[in-house]
Amino acid sequence: MKTKAAVLWEVNAPWSIEEIELDPPGPGEVLVKMAASGMCHSDEHLVTGDLPFALPIIGGHEGAGIVEQVGEGVSWLEPGDHVIFGFIPSCGKCPSCSSGHQNLCDLGAAMGIGRQIADGTSRHHANGQDLGLMCLLGTFAHHTVVHEASCIKIDKDMPLEKACLLGCGVVTGWGSAVYAADVAPGDTVCVVGVGGIGANAIQGAKLAGAKRIIAIDPVEFKREKAMEFGATHTASSMAEAFGLVQELSWGTMANKVIMTMGVGDGGVLGEAMALTAKRGRVVVTNIHPALETKGAGISLLDLTLMEKQLVGSLFGSGNPRYDIPKLMGLYREGKLDLDGLVTKTYPLEGINEGYQDMRDGKNIRGVLVYG
Amino acid sequence: MKSRAAVLRGIDQAWQIEEITVDPPKANEVLVNWKVAGMCHSDEHFVTGDMVPPQDLLDLMGAKFFPFIGGHEGAGIVMEVGPGVTSVKPGDHVSASFVPSCGRCRYCSTGRQNLCNYGAGTLMGHMITDGTPRHFDKDGNPVTMMAKLGTFSEYACVAEASLIKVEPDLPLDAVALVSCGVATGWGSATKRADTQPGDTVVVVGIGGIGINAVQGARMAGAKRIIAIDPVEFKREKAMEMGATHTFASMAEAMQSVNELTWGEMADRVIMTPGVLHGDMMEEAMALVGKGGTCVVTAISPMTENDVKMNLFQLAMWNKEVKGTIFGSLNPRADIPALLDMYRAGQLKLDELITKRYSLDEINEGYRAMRDGENIRGIIVND
Repeated sequence: MKTKAAVLWEVNAPWSIEEIELDPPGPGEVLVKMAASGMCHSDEHLVTGDLPFALPIIGGHEGAGIVEQVGEGVSWLEPGDHVIFGFIPSCGKCPSCSSGHQNLCDLGAAMGIGRQIADGTSRHHANGQDLGLMCLLGTFAHHTVVHEASCIKIDKDMPLEKACLLGCGVVTGWGSAVYAADVAPGDTVCVVGVGGIGANAIQGAKLAGAKRIIAIDPVEFKREKAMEFGATHTASSMAEAFGLVQELSWGTMANKVIMTMGVGDGGVLGEAMALTAKRGRVVVTNIHPALETKGAGISLLDLTLMEKQLVGSLFGSGNPRYDIPKLMGLYREGKLDLDGLVTKTYPLEGINEGYQDMRDGKNIRGVLVYG
Repeated sequence: MKSRAAVLRGIDQAWQIEEITVDPPKANEVLVNWKVAGMCHSDEHFVTGDMVPPQDLLDLMGAKFFPFIGGHEGAGIVMEVGPGVTSVKPGDHVSASFVPSCGRCRYCSTGRQNLCNYGAGTLMGHMITDGTPRHFDKDGNPVTMMAKLGTFSEYACVAEASLIKVEPDLPLDAVALVSCGVATGWGSATKRADTQPGDTVVVVGIGGIGINAVQGARMAGAKRIIAIDPVEFKREKAMEMGATHTFASMAEAMQSVNELTWGEMADRVIMTPGVLHGDMMEEAMALVGKGGTCVVTAISPMTENDVKMNLFQLAMWNKEVKGTIFGSLNPRADIPALLDMYRAGQLKLDELITKRYSLDEINEGYRAMRDGENIRGIIVND
């Protein structure tokens, strides 16, 4: 079939809206009519080359839609089902999936290749070339074909233009606070960078009972939004936050520091460690450039003498098949704000404008909504 | 196809070797040739009726329980796969898993595959996939399969969700043992009781489960492992597998545990008797020290509700009682992991097998179990 998609042909070029050829789903695969896709910073990392995936590629990994057709052997989905995509697949059988770490599913190894999980070939083609898929999904398109391992079935009452955010940014941020940082009642928490991830780290820290949440971002609009999501204090930089946290905590500093900047920077990790209390934990959630070489300027002596911890987190250390429905439940109960996350919606054709708005710091999250 | 199987026709009857018909696998199903079946006490619970669903429940669900094929510990070879099966192919060696794992439900998605929602139908009904039967007796009546596995049949049609692929270098008798008893006992001590280096651990009942709770406690670094069983042979086996002390009863152990621990009592008590009754819990909880843990692994009669326990001490001494199924392990991660511990010589499996039987000798095997002659008997199909 023919469908429309946003394709990246080369690094540092704009997204190109193309009519592409889409093959029917093979065994274990699903054809989905997309309803909406979040415009996550990770796709921007394709454009800048920080994520060096093979091009050409269809972007987008935060998507929700409706199943149109299922391939042979797909037993638990049928046409008409509403689905959110997990940006990382979950096979349900590998050692990670089998021990409560679906975010580290072995099928994730295929993400860098960007071809179909089932057989390594492509269902998406344009100009006589096979197209890769961001996170095996390619949600910047009106239709896509993905493996069933990437699909999470959801109830039909959920608005899909909000639900799509649960495929990546919301769980990543929320889980960074709740699971990876393990925020406990009474904690002092710093969230460094308030975009689509950081805003949800604030929401997670609030629900987990943090006493103080210090949101750090250079953009005033984002600091204001942070207060709406539950921050108790804001600062425009870690340097500015240092004195504030010191005073607020009577010198004991923050129990948890969550790094959710647009692009990670090893050079500022030392400041993050300085914000951290004895036995405190720094969680690195943001993407660092794959080829970053300058290292992380942190005091290793601090690790030992203060028992500070530095941990990484993917998808907020959550399990897509558990946490996506769980956070939908929190949204229904009014304990998770998704509406406030969406600053502006765009049609597929507005994707380059949307990313410019993101670069200009105008959006918490822009969302592509397909008619 | 035809298969020989040990069939139970009612409570308190003997297993009968009959020829049954096995239908070919449909979507997401696998035809398995069971090579080895462990003779677990849980299958005996169907003979005694402890685990047979009550008649009013069966009536309510419009279900018939008998005839029934036992066996849920097993290892075999895949003969044929139905459409949509991706994790195994003909010729693969597989372990049975008495708790299936769909890989998608809430429990499978959070590292608790032992609680997979597919487990809901373990004790009654037919295929996990579509609810219809694949196994029939000579009169054409559908047969209930123990845990949807029926490893006391030479061939069975099983859902892919109930099978774990294992490496072909592993002896299938070792695989069969790990598939239920070893994992359940080992996980009871390690994962559920969370035995820590230096702990004092009491294991009550040394059968196929308890002996592996002893092994688990040993591997987790317990300082003292006190094995309790009335049968002398089992106490001797417990010492071989890592116990440091043995007693014939909880009452007999009480004073010694008190002395050994300078009055602090046990950090962990693991209940693995053949059948657990509520009145045994009073002594068990008395063996647990302040802040200690009692893990309930054994099967009790399904409708028994009365437990004797001092709740004042539970609160004042911060004790806890925890149940466990499959030792709270994840079949797909932990069955291969345990088999690799066996490969490395860390986990003892060969020493667990007291005797091998043919399918025709199944009643003799269960007599030996009842008489305390076996740690584990296994059925081997040549």
